[in-house]
Amino acid sequence: MPDPALSDLRVIEVAQGIAGPYCGKLLASYGADVIKVEPPGAGDLSRRFGPFPEDIPHLEKSGTFLHLNTSKRSVTLDITGETGRLAFRRLLQNADILIENCAPGQMAQWGLGYDDLKADLPRLIYVSISPFGQTGPYRDYKGNSLTAMATSGVMYVTGAPDREPLTTGGEPAEYLAGMYAWLGALAALAYRDRENAGQQVDVSLMEAAASADEYSAAMYAFMGAIRRRYYSRHLFSYPSDIYACKDGHVVVSPAAQGFPSPTATDQGASPMSLLLGDVELDQNDLFRDRWARWFRWQEFERLLQPYLESNSADEIVSFAQALRMPFAHVFNAAQLLENEHLRERGFFQEIDHPQAGRLKYTGDLFKADRMKAPLRRAPLLGEHNEEILGGELGYTKKDLEVLRGQGVI
Amino acid sequence: MAKLPLEGVRVLDFTQVWAGPACTSILAALGAYVIKIEGMSRLDISHILLTAENQFTAELWNRGPYYHYRNPGKRGITLDLLHPDGINLVKRLVPACDVVIEAFSPRVMGNFGLTYEVLRELRPDLIMMSMSGYGQTGPYSDYGAYGMGLEPASGIASITGYADSGPTRTGVSFTDPIAGIAGAAAVLMALRHRDRTGEGQYIDMSQQETAIPFIGAALMEYQMTGRIPCPRGNRSSVAAPQGCYRCKGDDDWLVISISDDEEWASFCEAVGHAEWRDDERFATIIARNRNHDILDALIEDWTRGQDHIEAFHLLQKAGVKAAPVLNGKEMLLDPHLRERHYYDLLDHPTDLGPRPVARTLIARFDRMDPKPDRAAPSMGEHNAEVLQGLAGVSDEELADLEARQIIGTAPILDIPPDADLMELLAQLLFPLDRMIEQGSIRAVEPDYRRQLGLDEGAHTGK
Repeated sequence: MPDPALSDLRVIEVAQGIAGPYCGKLLASYGADVIKVEPPGAGDLSRRFGPFPEDIPHLEKSGTFLHLNTSKRSVTLDITGETGRLAFRRLLQNADILIENCAPGQMAQWGLGYDDLKADLPRLIYVSISPFGQTGPYRDYKGNSLTAMATSGVMYVTGAPDREPLTTGGEPAEYLAGMYAWLGALAALAYRDRENAGQQVDVSLMEAAASADEYSAAMYAFMGAIRRRYYSRHLFSYPSDIYACKDGHVVVSPAAQGFPSPTATDQGASPMSLLLGDVELDQNDLFRDRWARWFRWQEFERLLQPYLESNSADEIVSFAQALRMPFAHVFNAAQLLENEHLRERGFFQEIDHPQAGRLKYTGDLFKADRMKAPLRRAPLLGEHNEEILGGELGYTKKDLEVLRGQGVI
Repeated sequence: MAKLPLEGVRVLDFTQVWAGPACTSILAALGAYVIKIEGMSRLDISHILLTAENQFTAELWNRGPYYHYRNPGKRGITLDLLHPDGINLVKRLVPACDVVIEAFSPRVMGNFGLTYEVLRELRPDLIMMSMSGYGQTGPYSDYGAYGMGLEPASGIASITGYADSGPTRTGVSFTDPIAGIAGAAAVLMALRHRDRTGEGQYIDMSQQETAIPFIGAALMEYQMTGRIPCPRGNRSSVAAPQGCYRCKGDDDWLVISISDDEEWASFCEAVGHAEWRDDERFATIIARNRNHDILDALIEDWTRGQDHIEAFHLLQKAGVKAAPVLNGKEMLLDPHLRERHYYDLLDHPTDLGPRPVARTLIARFDRMDPKPDRAAPSMGEHNAEVLQGLAGVSDEELADLEARQIIGTAPILDIPPDADLMELLAQLLFPLDRMIEQGSIRAVEPDYRRQLGLDEGAHTGK
């Protein structure tokens, strides 16, 4: 196998939770040596998030932690104290990238802010992730995925018109911020490869989520219109929504911008009318005029309902796709893990873990033979203390004993 | 600011609408010379999904707000890819390009005769990325796909929704920005690999797969407990109370998320209900979770009387995680985003003038400022620059290509013979009054340019 893309890099990840660790996971996926620095005893916050086997909390068995920390090594180090910070600074000597997600200013209080380090480590890429960013009037405010989705414009257009706005399931703003931190680190690396200088990268959850705003800001900036939620529907092409069918749910989405016309098929009838088995429907206003559909959608649903109720998701999606309409499945976690398409592509990979057992993990974000690195399980808390602090930093067995006694590791 | 890291890198961009253009606009912000290729009869539909001012004027296809949001910083050329001479021009451009990106379903590039195998003959170290909906292999690979379907297919919709509703779409095509980021990162890594080894490569991206890790916890929960996670509104397993609460005003909301007892105590204090702190129904996170409905009613009694922005500052100053649910207007006017220059004013061609356009690479850097240096191109704006500069097309050849409509600056619309052109165009306008009545648009503000401060600048319209 060729050398993975990032195999010459060392990353120190002092971030906890989701965004920072996801950034570290993605760097590790493409070959970087990612050393996770965790607080002694407690470890990364996400070790307590769960889910857990049989719902019994256990530091080594959190599903969130295991998912987000594949292919890394773990050391424990208390960087809130002077001794730990000293070791931490030694660790940074050989590092290319640092990932942190403390409240803005916190790292500087410990003497570990970018300004404290850049003179000694001019090539270091210092990635900071925070709820609102390192500057601006909200910089000291607290936040999470929910607050970011709220301020992104996305939540305002998600949900039913007569109910409260809805966030998106999971912790999507955390994941988006993690991806931008990864991208930002790679951009800074491209800069360093040319200019031989590191820099700080400032990523905010609020802006990461805002990048998912599809039309809201553009509509106001160019039209003065304020878009609001209407059953989370796509603005241009009703349907394009999720419907219940005989055995689950399905996305009915005739085309990107509405219905393909009757000229789209050899039969001289629209694919939708062929799907519903009634070519007369092509004469119906609801089939000819997208705004008629948009305003009289309940009537359209009544036309659709009998077909959906009498067919399975598989039948509906494959028939519609054969008619060149991009219908889609609505998969849940179980269905994804068992899905034949993903299995054939080898997307999930099974790996063993000494405490949590064999589990399926999500694989690479894309297939590129010359870049990928093998997937390894997440590390146990402090699993690599001796290997890294002893072997690489040169602490003796006795030193490590003392540090352990002081609670530094 | 110092130079940008992708200066000198050329990208041939066949993508349309969101995921692909998001990827290539990030590369453009980093300094790459991105050439967006469109067919005049297969134009990127984002040109006409929305129309500035909701009015038709000349060149309406150059007035699409959504197109302008996704394509800043690029060059635009038009080529008829259904004509052999159009394909031939692509092949003359490829040797001058480092990266080719496409997001069609897998058969399309093959139909054009533009597969990786063909293109790398022309440029041996070429990096080519295909970012289709479901990837290049597997039983769904030929499926047509858009964000509306890919988000549910990625599993995200299965955990989105009110607690009493079924799976729900996010109000945007949520996998598009995800695939856009992953695509830009893939190209950065492939360029780095090429710098180190001299090798190009082919990247097969499935947009569905780029989003599945977002539900990693749900995938683990099913494997660890046998439970299939389902929608739970705005609630969380690690915070209580957490929710979205109605404020004063027509449709104004505040989210609140309280993750520990200390934050809970601060909250009770801040909203003037110290007695809640001592109420045993709310004493611990487990108790607050159990009595969440009661708590929601109490909290909403308070928020109903509050302005959502003022309540946000009040709670944050007390150390409580809270945020207003911002709409498009409020985002553009948000003082924090303004101070951080999240929206760059880009001066647009035609009569649009300067408009705020959102950042494409969401990060700030000490040594560089990767933001687009120009507005999105008009259709075919850079035909001469690109084709003459990179493909060696002569003046005569250029004129001939134009005369034969292989290239051009206006779309060739495929209009059925019996159709009324004005009626078709009218369908592109938004029936805003009826949408307000229906509730899908909250309001239309005629003085929005003034509110955004766009009328004050040098620009006065042409």
